[in-house]
Amino acid sequence: MNKSPVNNPDARLVLVCCGTGCIANGGLDVYRALQNELNGDEGVRVDAVTKGTGCHGMCARGPFVRIMPDDINYCQVKVSDVREIVEKTLHGGEVIKRLLFRDPRSKKTVKSHRDIDFYKRQHKIALRNVGVIDPASIEDYMARDGYQSLRKALFTMTPSQVIDEVVKAGLRGRGGAGFPTGLKWKACAAVDRLPRFIVCNGDEGDPGAFMDESVMEGDPHSILEGMAICAYAIGASAGFIYVRDEYAQSVASLGKAIEDARRHGFLGKNILGTALSFDIEIVRGGGAFVCGEETALLASIEGNVGEPRDKYVFPTERGLWGQPTVINNVETWANIPFIIHQGAASFASIGTAGSKGTKVFSVVGKVANTGLVEVPMGTTLREIIFDIAGGIPNGRKFKAVQTGGPSGGCIPESLLDLEVDFDSLARVGSMMGSGGMIVMDDRTCMVEVARYYLNFLAGESCGKCVPCREGIRRFGEILTRICQGKGTVDDLNLLESLSETVQSASLCALGRTAPNPVLSTLKYFREEYLEHIIRHRCPAGICKELTEFYIDPEFCNGCGLCAKMCPSQGIAGAKKQAHTIDQSKCIKCGECVDVCRFMAVKVR
Amino acid sequence: MKMRIDGREIEVRSGETIMEAARRAGISIPALCYHEAFGGQGHCRMCMVEVQAGGVTRLVVSCTYPVTREVEVKTSTPAIEKIRRDIVTLLYKRAPDSDFMERLYHSYGCSDNTLHANLGERCIMCRLCVRACEEMGVSAIAAVSRGTDKRIATPYDEASPDCIGCGACADICPTGAIEVIEKGSRRVIWNKVFEMADCQRCGRPFATLAQLEYLESRLDRDVVKQRLCSNCRRKEVVGKVRRYNASLPFV
Amino acid sequence: MATNGNQLETEEQFQEIITRYPTEQRYIMPIMHDLRNRYHYLPRKALEMAAAHLQVPLSQVYSMATFYKAFSLIPRGRVRLKTCDGTTCHIKGSQTIIEEVYKNLGIRPGETTPDREFSLETVNCIGACAIAPALIVNDKVYGKVTAASLKTIIREYGGRENE
Repeated sequence: MNKSPVNNPDARLVLVCCGTGCIANGGLDVYRALQNELNGDEGVRVDAVTKGTGCHGMCARGPFVRIMPDDINYCQVKVSDVREIVEKTLHGGEVIKRLLFRDPRSKKTVKSHRDIDFYKRQHKIALRNVGVIDPASIEDYMARDGYQSLRKALFTMTPSQVIDEVVKAGLRGRGGAGFPTGLKWKACAAVDRLPRFIVCNGDEGDPGAFMDESVMEGDPHSILEGMAICAYAIGASAGFIYVRDEYAQSVASLGKAIEDARRHGFLGKNILGTALSFDIEIVRGGGAFVCGEETALLASIEGNVGEPRDKYVFPTERGLWGQPTVINNVETWANIPFIIHQGAASFASIGTAGSKGTKVFSVVGKVANTGLVEVPMGTTLREIIFDIAGGIPNGRKFKAVQTGGPSGGCIPESLLDLEVDFDSLARVGSMMGSGGMIVMDDRTCMVEVARYYLNFLAGESCGKCVPCREGIRRFGEILTRICQGKGTVDDLNLLESLSETVQSASLCALGRTAPNPVLSTLKYFREEYLEHIIRHRCPAGICKELTEFYIDPEFCNGCGLCAKMCPSQGIAGAKKQAHTIDQSKCIKCGECVDVCRFMAVKVR
Repeated sequence: MKMRIDGREIEVRSGETIMEAARRAGISIPALCYHEAFGGQGHCRMCMVEVQAGGVTRLVVSCTYPVTREVEVKTSTPAIEKIRRDIVTLLYKRAPDSDFMERLYHSYGCSDNTLHANLGERCIMCRLCVRACEEMGVSAIAAVSRGTDKRIATPYDEASPDCIGCGACADICPTGAIEVIEKGSRRVIWNKVFEMADCQRCGRPFATLAQLEYLESRLDRDVVKQRLCSNCRRKEVVGKVRRYNASLPFV
Repeated sequence: MATNGNQLETEEQFQEIITRYPTEQRYIMPIMHDLRNRYHYLPRKALEMAAAHLQVPLSQVYSMATFYKAFSLIPRGRVRLKTCDGTTCHIKGSQTIIEEVYKNLGIRPGETTPDREFSLETVNCIGACAIAPALIVNDKVYGKVTAASLKTIIREYGGRENE
């Protein structure tokens, strides 16, 4: 029955990453070229896979080609390399060294992911299939024990045993709030009204987070299976997957998966011949960050403006169209089949006392290896950022890591040894959110970062309640004037005072957490605020009104790279002589600072 | 069931909001977006109260919080008063042209600050107007856009074919933010010009023709058979009662 | 009225799209998606017809069309530039791209050139952080965009520079 080459050691499989990053670098062309070249070759299958294979820190080095079962990984592959790959590697069994990944730290070439630190230290549960299987092939998913958990639940467990298993696993919602999933199911099952609904929240909106996209594109069946198991456990008849508008690929991938699952009897009427009938519909979002909030999302599915409501009565009691509803996030759903298959104890053995299992982080920003990292709860920030993601590139210094999305907080260097879980992040004034981790170096201005997030939230707040709408407007106003050098020390008190009200009086989590970027930067980077206010200076060289770049002749060796890169032709100098910046032409874009390999461009 | 509020014990129906129960008992909780006719909206957050239930104390919005078990409520604490002051400040800075907000700003003793005042604005986005329009069955206006740009408008900011010019929105607006211009036999509201109907008795224009036609199409003809302004309608009723009383035999 | 993509906007076409859906409020958004996919914006007449078909007040439809950022009420250009303004792109210079687009085409986010050739909008993180700053032109993603490469991209799509 196993037609899938995924678990077949004899089959040759060529995986071409066609995630957003790789496509931008020409991934699709490479995929097509490989297909043409291998047309008619029965022993090799070429698959375009999304995200997954590329996200071992190699999106930036895409397109990325992986050859199985040898696990040879080529990066920055060009169409002109395709013939050589076919002849040398696929037919000749030879590894082409030139195309191998070079570890940025050890400088050694690496053949397999398994040899890369980035991969070695990860522990994959939610992402177990992403990049390994062809998401369009239900056979691939089934070959990796797919839909075995649904069978196990339907034929060997009672609904309440399923719920108990999820409770015992200690799984907490991966969407941000960290509410225990099993308890949510239990509460919903206890409400004696039909129909009950199930919703998958795929409205991933945090800037810098793309783990849900990765699962929806790369392993859609794991979500469907998780939802079907829940349908059995709580007695639900209909499910909805709300997918963020920007994720067209996810919609396609999920749509195909739903059709295939129906054909195989995993969805629809009388699933696998049992009394369970459950089907799933995809709903496309409209591009509103606030719809990640569950009551707003439900309003949106109903055909309303995505405004949240007060949650004194939970969706488990009054959700979609007033009916009892379980709503969980993509990553949460993807964990369910693992828990049922491997047992709660196995899942609960991973992680910390209060947060079980693994968490996927998307580590982006100023790190050497950008990508998705799945690690056990309790892994330290330092391990994630330095050991796995390869630390800060270009010889610059780590400054802060922002976790939890736009309303998370900025965590400074002194807290790098923090063991990350739901509770520890909240303790330091940030939050887990959906697992975004944006690394910032010394070229990042923390005041401007706070302003950026508050600006983002000003546009994304639904505008319903006063503290969020009006409070965020004022944060933006105050932070903007500080960035322009027009702030006062009193402004900092005003920010803190208003924050209290916005935190305690706002309607939903978006508003209540909105002050986090302000409060955390004020707490850990107050000096930088004062620098803007008192000395009218932006030490990172980001706030244009307060920045003047100059070239330190001591360090400049006249290589001319900055002059070449300057978009406004504002840098001049003779070859091998110190260069100078013409302040009247400088647009303060900072390109020169970033390209200079000698740290000669400085902020006055 | 019972609820203790500010030390008083009052009767509550299960599922009723704190606001409803408090109002019935004659206890007032400040609010800007609440109206009995519509129930709680949870927009303004002025009506926050402290609730103690099952050993947990937290701040909730009294107009949307349903009482389903024994709770103890405080309608004013220093923390709540600070929230109310901040909300009034934020709304006053948003709508400084509203006399209503200015009075509130002073009566709450809000301290002066450097926040920029939005000159020319009177709307505080309580959305009572939207609810009134909806209740009228017309829904000509709605909250449009989102975030800090959210505002009340007709579609495309143009005269709405649905608007009947009844002015219910302007009547309910606490801050006088909805402009109604009445001149001779015309009323202009929400960019739309309406012809007024004259009262059959006193001859004063009292409602738009569109509104009367709308009512006539929906209500029993008897109710609207006479086009009378509210003043003359009252006189008419009083007159009827008087005539009826006069016809009774003297007791 | 003919607009971008040579798609004729006729009432028959609007009706064809709208009546794919039953008369239920929850289909407002799917209809808007279909309209957007076809016309790159929401034509006013189509929204009026959708409101009538779904038996929802026009104000509700308009409220949604202005709430959800995926939809535009004004026609978009033949070439639709979208700059990603996610955090990573932001700290890697998306602001510079926006300024450069303005210098080159004279449009700011939300605007369309008078000849309806180009329009610009900013979008939230598109998950292409590894190649930040990212620019999406129609549906193609360009990574690591600089002032110089932006000029090339614009020229590629037939844009002429402002003096």
